Amino acid sequence: MVAISQTGLPPKTRYAKVRSLHWVLICALVVCAGLSLQIGATDVQFTTILFKAASGQVLSPAEQVVFFDIRLPRLVMGCLVGAALAVSGAAMQGLFRNPLADPGIVGVGAGAGLGAIVAIVLGACLPLWIQEVTGNQLVPVAAFLAGWGSTLLLYRVSTRNGRTSVATMLLAGIALGALAGAISGILVYVADDRQLRDLTFWGLGSLAGASWAKIVAAGPMIFLSIAVASYLGRGLNGLALGEATAEHIGIDVQRLKSIAILTVAGATGAAVAVSGGIGFIGIVVPHLLRLATGPDHRTLLINAALVGAILLILADVIARVVIAPAELPIGIVTAVLGAPVFLWILLKRRGLVEL
Amino acid sequence: MSFHARNIHVSYGHHQALAGVSLHAKAGEVTAIVGPNGSGKSTLLGAMTATLPYEGEVSLNGRSVAGQKPWELAAQRAVLPQASKLAFPFTVIEVVQIGLHAGTAGAQTDVPMHALARVGLSHYAHRNFQDLSGGEAQRVMLARVLAQVWAPVQAGTPRWLLLDEPVSSLDIAHQLQVIDIARDFAARGGGVIAVMHDLNLTALFADKVAILAAGKCLAVGTPTEVLQDDILSRTYGCTLRVCAPPGDERPYILPHAASA
Ligand SMILES: Nc1ncnc2c1ncn2[C@@H]1O[C@H](COP(=O)(O)OP(=O)(O)OP(=O)(O)O)[C@@H](O)[C@H]1O
Ligand SMILES: [Mg+2]
Repeated sequence: MVAISQTGLPPKTRYAKVRSLHWVLICALVVCAGLSLQIGATDVQFTTILFKAASGQVLSPAEQVVFFDIRLPRLVMGCLVGAALAVSGAAMQGLFRNPLADPGIVGVGAGAGLGAIVAIVLGACLPLWIQEVTGNQLVPVAAFLAGWGSTLLLYRVSTRNGRTSVATMLLAGIALGALAGAISGILVYVADDRQLRDLTFWGLGSLAGASWAKIVAAGPMIFLSIAVASYLGRGLNGLALGEATAEHIGIDVQRLKSIAILTVAGATGAAVAVSGGIGFIGIVVPHLLRLATGPDHRTLLINAALVGAILLILADVIARVVIAPAELPIGIVTAVLGAPVFLWILLKRRGLVEL
Repeated sequence: MSFHARNIHVSYGHHQALAGVSLHAKAGEVTAIVGPNGSGKSTLLGAMTATLPYEGEVSLNGRSVAGQKPWELAAQRAVLPQASKLAFPFTVIEVVQIGLHAGTAGAQTDVPMHALARVGLSHYAHRNFQDLSGGEAQRVMLARVLAQVWAPVQAGTPRWLLLDEPVSSLDIAHQLQVIDIARDFAARGGGVIAVMHDLNLTALFADKVAILAAGKCLAVGTPTEVLQDDILSRTYGCTLRVCAPPGDERPYILPHAASA
């Protein structure tokens, strides 16, 4: 008989250590937020404003506008969008059981974008009562519905008998992206000048249009998606063993998948609706976290939200300073930083041939 | 207490994989399912675990499986699939803990470590699962399955282990270890249903053997009753000599040349 070594030690896993990481990340987020408020095109400084507020002085109108109407909404939206993109990436990777699944890469972002474009261009043609019901939520809701449809379609196409084919997933993503691009192209001809400006800025991905109205429009859906995602951790861990095994260990796989798909669509849709196609956050953030702290989704999803927010704020700061006083669309910054990381992931990835 | 499949039919498209198979497994016993490749063994387990759509009736401890929630079933039985793969680089101990999904407090207990120790891999706890050899990975998966039904069995309620080829990539020492684990599980009142290819090991540890061939059940009974020259030769289409030592020793099987 083989000797059985009994260690008697309680299992020390990464989970216990990683669980406290989010406090560190929250602190980092606060620091980055301060930095983001401090730096900008005008010489209004966060520290001056804090000092004035503390000593009871009145802010100048310029300071008020720069701080409350430009920098603060931009910061909040950066946090929301970064968190939403990273969480939807992590959730989608868990759902597809593949670290390459990212809403931006597999066409869900493009699908959601199409929904948003349709809403922007054709929203005014809708019956009045629908416009009244949806109000300023029309664009995010349309982006969410289209994102949901594309995720659902993608999952159907690429998953057979509980197995997801990565090749099919990526190819279907290309097809979805191309289709969305073509339809958007048609809509550009129908759009009027104002809408056209909305659309072009928006294809590049930018936080420059941040406003409280947009935050009110997208914030609730993003918060809801992140809150729901944080409860998917256990289920997605089980799903890593395959659908059948996940079912065997007591997970309602069908329900888990439906909720995960809705979450991905909600977070991606809302983020895309307000900021356009900002790429690579959804794949780089979860990947780096998995390298650093392991793949446990119970911690991964929440930490991804925090790191996503931090990274996007930093990217936004970079976007504002490199060619100041002009600014780069943030999508360019995330692509320049993210694409090499993505290639590096591909290079390092084990079992690449199995694709 | 029993795991009972009655008149199970399963078709994959036009191909009928199971044509009216019944299996009655009792708690406290090891029930082995043997048969040629493609005879429907994994399919039968799939039906019994409600993984596949099937016709017929499966009941677990007297209750129909159909309509029970995944977590209700997970609390009564654990399933080791024929092949497992893992999507992300979890460590060995994390993989075993994933199996504790059904028991919510599980992650905080030392059950995963005990389960790993039981398969002789406690020193592997923090290694990356994806780096393991085939046999090691199979033993970790067995530990995961054990962890899932560990606590209740210790408490004396019959739980079930459904193992699809648990020893197929193990060396002889670890094959015997798995058999020891299965016997121990049954001795504590649990039920074990195992799909097997090695007839000698089957003869060694099974209380009951069911032989499947081409989607039908050819014979059911104790190893001595079922493992007979003519039954085996007919099942596998090759000559096999069964040697039955005198007394109540288990039979053993010797392979001969391929042609019948
Ligand atoms: N998903 C599937 N689609 C179509 N046919 C299938 C599928 N799964 C199994 N089959 C067929 O059903 C039959 C029974 O398969 P099953 O996996 O139950 O065999 P098995 O007895 O477990 O064989 P092995 O000893 O090789 O594991 C085989 O002929 C197989 O080709
Ligand atoms: Mg099989």
